[in-house]
Amino acid sequence: MTRKLSLSIIILCIIVLVQEFGFSRLTLFEVFPDALSVFIAFLAVTQGQKTSTSFGFAAGTITGILSGNLGLNMLAKTIGGFLAGYFHSPEDSHATAKQKTRHFYAAVITAEFSAHTVITTGYNPLGLSPEYRIVTLGLLASLLSLILALIANRLFVRKSFAD
Amino acid sequence: MRKFFTLFFKYNALLLFLAYCTIALLFIKLQNDNTFSKLRTSGIEFSAAVNEKLINLAYLLNVDEENERLMRVNRDLLTKVLNFETSAVDERNRLKIVNDSTFNASGFIMARVVDRKFSDRENILVINAGWKQGIKKDMTVLVPEGLVGRVISVSEHYAKVMPVIHTDFKVSVVSDSSNSMGILSWSGGSEAIAQVEHIPISSRLKLNERIVTSDFSTFSLRGIPVGRVIRIKPDKLFYAIDLRLTVDFSSLSQVLVAPLKIETEKVAMSSDSTLIEQIP
Repeated sequence: MTRKLSLSIIILCIIVLVQEFGFSRLTLFEVFPDALSVFIAFLAVTQGQKTSTSFGFAAGTITGILSGNLGLNMLAKTIGGFLAGYFHSPEDSHATAKQKTRHFYAAVITAEFSAHTVITTGYNPLGLSPEYRIVTLGLLASLLSLILALIANRLFVRKSFAD
Repeated sequence: MRKFFTLFFKYNALLLFLAYCTIALLFIKLQNDNTFSKLRTSGIEFSAAVNEKLINLAYLLNVDEENERLMRVNRDLLTKVLNFETSAVDERNRLKIVNDSTFNASGFIMARVVDRKFSDRENILVINAGWKQGIKKDMTVLVPEGLVGRVISVSEHYAKVMPVIHTDFKVSVVSDSSNSMGILSWSGGSEAIAQVEHIPISSRLKLNERIVTSDFSTFSLRGIPVGRVIRIKPDKLFYAIDLRLTVDFSSLSQVLVAPLKIETEKVAMSSDSTLIEQIP
């Protein structure tokens, strides 16, 4: 359990750095894919709501320190982690790999859309209209994160979801 | 108490979430506080420093491409600079000839030296005017400073000039004070020094006297400056005279080509003495 937690923390730190200095440059209409949402969604599906909420909070804290918007990032990622936790597939649920993968994608979209909505509601430096930044940009950010989740599923996640 | 723990374990995810949200909201409320401002500033500084390193790294990875781009820019700029400089020098040389009040250049053809083959024995110039521009063989090539040479072959747009500093070049010259006559030639070596032959030791030639072309020449106009006497050495019958040429062949760029001297009768008379008898 401790080993699993330590590994998750290390992976989280690596993903935060990759996100801050890598994926955040891949902007499309001011939004970019969020690797943290993908990771939190993965934790939500595999380890449950408490873990995803806690890791969402931790991820929000680190990204908040790096971006200079601490409270809002904390809140956004915590909400994202908490909502993604509803797609948890417990080991005794007998869910198939396909079902787990579907849950994973749904969790990614939920985590990203909710986190994006919270951040754009509280922080709007470009003065964009609420409809545009929440609906259009939120959906676009979710789509980009979903693409990243598809790639992550191909490369890493699939093994964890195996029956 | 048991009820509380039962409730807590049942809803612990929600309670955890609420606790985190409370902390986050607290941070939002206190974000302008001095301590949090410092934390935020430190985070931004760290982020900016890492970003700068990454940008530098990306720059280093693309340095070949950047170098190539700079080389292209340099090449274009160099071409422009060279074109401007060449144009400026050409224009300056052209104006120098046109504005020279001591020299009447009307009827002369202006040309630019486009090639030169210089050695210690054989020197040849190529000018960018040919028969289309009116250049003919044996025309005199000169600059306001003095005699340059003689056209020896002509093509459509170019002409080859045998300069004074060619071992086969000869021209009749005369000193402007003592009126001593001789033949100018160049025996190789320094391009600034030529020799004058066949001036008898009886002549009153002096050092620093100016030498110009004489009327005896079959191709050159008379009075074109050639040089100044810098050394006079008496021999058995003639002086051995060294002359400093007035034309600087190392910096020659624009030249004038004088109209051809038409003196066929004089040439014929010089070569055939029986001609006199045929004329009544």
